Amino acid sequence: MNQMNNTLNGIFSWDFISAGIRVTTPVLLAALGALVADLAGTPNIALEGIMLFSAFVGVITSAFTGSLFIAFIAGILTGAVMAAILAYFSLKLKTDIIMAAIAINIFSSGGTIFALSVLTGDKGSSASLKSYVFPSVTIPIIDKIPVLGDILSGHHIITYIAFIMIFVVHYILYKTPLGLRIRSVGESPKAAKSVGISVMKTQFTALIISGVLASLGGLFLSMGYVSWFAKDMTAGRGFIALAAQALGGSSAYGVALGSVLFGFSEAASYSLQFMNIPYEITQSIPFLITVAALAFYAWKKINYIKKIKNNIRK
Amino acid sequence: MKNAKKFEIYRTVFAVFIALLLGYIIIFMTNFSKENTDFLIGLKNAFDKTNTAFRYFLTSPLIIERKGIPEFNIRGFIQWINESVPIIITGIAVSVVFTAKQFNIGAEGQLFIGAVAASFTAVYFPGIPVIHSVMVILTAALSGAVWASVPAVMKSKLNASELVTSLMMNYVAVFTGLFIIKTFLRDPSAGQLVSLPYAETAGLWFLNSRFKWHIGIIIAIFMAILFWFIMKKTTWGYSVRVVGNNEKFAGYSGINTSKTIFNVQVVSGAIAGTAGIIELMGYHGRFLWLNGPGYGWDGIIIATLAGNNPIFVPFAGLFLSYIRVGAKTMGRYTDTPPEIVSILQAVIILLVTAEAFLAKIKEKSVIKEAGKFGKNIEKAGESNE
Repeated sequence: MNQMNNTLNGIFSWDFISAGIRVTTPVLLAALGALVADLAGTPNIALEGIMLFSAFVGVITSAFTGSLFIAFIAGILTGAVMAAILAYFSLKLKTDIIMAAIAINIFSSGGTIFALSVLTGDKGSSASLKSYVFPSVTIPIIDKIPVLGDILSGHHIITYIAFIMIFVVHYILYKTPLGLRIRSVGESPKAAKSVGISVMKTQFTALIISGVLASLGGLFLSMGYVSWFAKDMTAGRGFIALAAQALGGSSAYGVALGSVLFGFSEAASYSLQFMNIPYEITQSIPFLITVAALAFYAWKKINYIKKIKNNIRK
Repeated sequence: MKNAKKFEIYRTVFAVFIALLLGYIIIFMTNFSKENTDFLIGLKNAFDKTNTAFRYFLTSPLIIERKGIPEFNIRGFIQWINESVPIIITGIAVSVVFTAKQFNIGAEGQLFIGAVAASFTAVYFPGIPVIHSVMVILTAALSGAVWASVPAVMKSKLNASELVTSLMMNYVAVFTGLFIIKTFLRDPSAGQLVSLPYAETAGLWFLNSRFKWHIGIIIAIFMAILFWFIMKKTTWGYSVRVVGNNEKFAGYSGINTSKTIFNVQVVSGAIAGTAGIIELMGYHGRFLWLNGPGYGWDGIIIATLAGNNPIFVPFAGLFLSYIRVGAKTMGRYTDTPPEIVSILQAVIILLVTAEAFLAKIKEKSVIKEAGKFGKNIEKAGESNE
């Protein structure tokens, strides 16, 4: 009982919430990227590889130039360029987008180890390089408020960017002409084309936005969450982001909630291990919820279509 | 039609050639950048080193030099064949499901859960020779099929994307599988997390027992021929192909599309389910994975290279396994990291699947063929007159 109390305290403590926010950050950024790409009708399965390569480039650039700013730019450019390669192959050369994305993931996983080994002689991690991390931000005034300060202040700068991005992505998708174009291209490319929207250009843009968002997630992993690059350090977060997006549907807020669910259940799995609840169970719950949610959405859609058909008959 | 097929083969060979060339250039650049001597000497050294690395890469699974004399590398050869077995099997599974245009990428989870479930049979089933081994493989196939039925039902009944569902199921498979091994099958005497050793009767025959060359390759090739036959020569295979080509047309022509979509995913799951256990029972003799072994993803590469035709899958699988084993040996004997092979794989996939890559040449060949066809008709017309 006492042990259980301790654990419950562990779960519901402010530290736990901080940890949850930290774990959520990379998933959230990639999931927002998944959302933009998916709405444009070009699902981006390459988020995993893009995150990984950006994480790598960020660390290496910061170690060799000593400049966080250049590392930031280099990391984001990496994301944009890789997304552009994905877009070029799938949109121009008509490679199946899933295949192209799988190729990019394979390239990143092996390519980062190859480059790391050539540059540092070490295959496992970049620990031998002196690289830098992005700073944490203490919000003045708020950090003095007892509970709120602990939760809201003192996070990593990219964590703040991630949470701001929820609103930015929502704004872009639902309040700007670009967002309208992205959504209409995804909904019906032919209809979009008939009103003069360039399908290819729009999908290209959407993919690059998704690549940049994923690259921020990658930079957070290697220059915030930890301060080095390790091989395959994304550990499936790019795929988890796809799940979070599937869970959240087509709204940026929904996707954010989905990411929070994955982030917090990962954080909880560490705490719950002390209560003899195996982490395998805790960690597979969000995936099962996603499968159930997908089934539910699909069922709702089928009923909706049935209803419309019935209405037409009447 | 014939020319179009020939063109696919040329394009695949060309893509492999470009990838190898790129690999050579990358290895050369990494070697050259390390040279601090005079430019020309550095250039020569870098070429020498790169050539050595490439020689290991391309020949080491077959030939190795001992004391300066090249001889047949039996160990490398067997490693090459053994490593190709699980990826050929997942390649067949993926080819079958991709033929129906179902992007079920759950082979990784299916083979994992199949191997976990079959480990029970391998440890506890009564030790009757042959029957035991067959039961182990059947358990794996059955579990893989059950695992695949989840995305299959959701796609066929609810039209939910099998891509995301199967991806989720991969994670659930690894978490659940490890939990089961840890709780029910863990070998307490082993230092790390491995299952109890399989019963001796749950093994595969060896073709060479010193290097553990097991009969997995024969099983894999048999499966490739079997599924080539099923896909190309049976009604079921035909309906799968029609659904893949044009689902609406398939529906109009009286094929039960949702049933076919369900069945093809379950069959693919059964094939994939056996991929892992065959390696475990043939080589390791116990369950020892702490993560997905990645064969499901390799299956996607192989199916792509083979154009989703099961009969070409063994060739693609042997090719992939060859360059991997070659790269590993290269990594042991030279400074070049074997991960270069991932870069080559990525380039090959991108180029082989790029429909517009070399499409101009394809167009010309098709036009030429059509021209011949036209002339033949003209000739036939003339002779009739």
